[in-house]
Amino acid sequence: MKSTIRFGPAFATLFISMKAGDSIIVESGAMASMSANVDIKTRFNGGFFNAILRKVFGGESLFINSFHSNSDAEVVLTQTTPGEISEIELQGTTLCLQPGAFIACDPTVRLQLAWAGFASWFGGEGLFRLKLSGHGRIWLGGYGAIFEKEIQSEYSVDTGHLIAYEPTLSLSVGLSGGIFSSFFGGEGFVTRVRGRGKCLMQTRSMDGLAAWTNQHI
Amino acid sequence: MKVELLCQPASSVAEIYLDRGETLTAEVGAMIGMSTKINVETSTRSQGGQGGILKGIKRMFSGENFFLNHFTSNADAQRLILGPKIIGDIIVRELQGESLIIQGSSWLASTGGIELDTSWQGWGSAAFSGEKVFWVKCSGTGTAIINSFGGIYEIDVDGEYVVDTGHIVAFDDTLQFSVGKASSTWLSSLMSGEGIVCRFKGMGKVYCQTHNLSDFGKSLGPKLKPRSA
Repeated sequence: MKSTIRFGPAFATLFISMKAGDSIIVESGAMASMSANVDIKTRFNGGFFNAILRKVFGGESLFINSFHSNSDAEVVLTQTTPGEISEIELQGTTLCLQPGAFIACDPTVRLQLAWAGFASWFGGEGLFRLKLSGHGRIWLGGYGAIFEKEIQSEYSVDTGHLIAYEPTLSLSVGLSGGIFSSFFGGEGFVTRVRGRGKCLMQTRSMDGLAAWTNQHI
Repeated sequence: MKVELLCQPASSVAEIYLDRGETLTAEVGAMIGMSTKINVETSTRSQGGQGGILKGIKRMFSGENFFLNHFTSNADAQRLILGPKIIGDIIVRELQGESLIIQGSSWLASTGGIELDTSWQGWGSAAFSGEKVFWVKCSGTGTAIINSFGGIYEIDVDGEYVVDTGHIVAFDDTLQFSVGKASSTWLSSLMSGEGIVCRFKGMGKVYCQTHNLSDFGKSLGPKLKPRSA
């Protein structure tokens, strides 16, 4: 199975060419177009109970799709927002994804739901997070460009800009500064990332766009 | 008449060179800039075409404006710049007697030799596709200028191809168009989040856009406050 990312960075789109017997796990609703011989199988996202929890508290899709083909085929996958798509190869490592970032992964990658904590929920990031582990490629998307940051001890990220992080990092929600600057400086809550490891951030956030749009309604 | 695309792909505009007597019909509000010897006329009918009020009303159903703007050049080498409202790409398609069906909001402009009509795609697609009932049908000889949300990729269909309803930009009318389920059963199609897809059969081109404007709207919508009266 070969992957190509085209139309990046503004409109990154994932073109997957499949050979007979290939399959790929795809986020619900991410398919833009595909060959007619591709078969879609749908299952609960991480088991029935987990899927419902994720839907209600995590803002994630209830179902996840497996695309399978018995002959040469092409699948075109995309994300809701304009922006970049990153391909990351997991080699026995684990990556935690924020709601909405997941697009697709190889079937060898394990998808799990993990408790993210109330701090994450207050920060607007959902009660659960998606944990991807094992071996294989994963594709994740961001609104705007995606950049990587190596964290040594502690780092603050504006809520809504964090899209993925290594599990060696822990998240908590805090104020960006004092009470005054936090609320009048427009930064409000920030997500504090502690530990050693890397995190991925998106250069735009839907909350930011919504806040700007709201001023004009 | 010559069309040049500038600032592709994210913020594309089309620059059109018009010689004396040449005309172009464009979506209302698409003009960004133009030379002074171009005459603009607003009407409900396509230039030299049939119809009138009725076609204007049909066009409103297709997501287009009731009115159309006609640009006619009174001198040689006049230039006109057109741009769509949303970010994304633009393509130019030359028609030589064939017909192209364009999704309501993707039609940007077409030259005088092209007859515009709104095309009824059948009850099935109207009820389920979530897209506009009417599409704009361009036929004749000339140039059609089409815009998209995101990039545009072209698929040469030979047999069958599946496109999510929100990703169709335009297609040759030599293709058979049917609306159906994404996977083998209705239950799993609805669960898959792909819901209803369009199946194109036959031979011809389908132009798809990389992003879905209505999905983007749905992800922004819930974050917006109600409009203050």
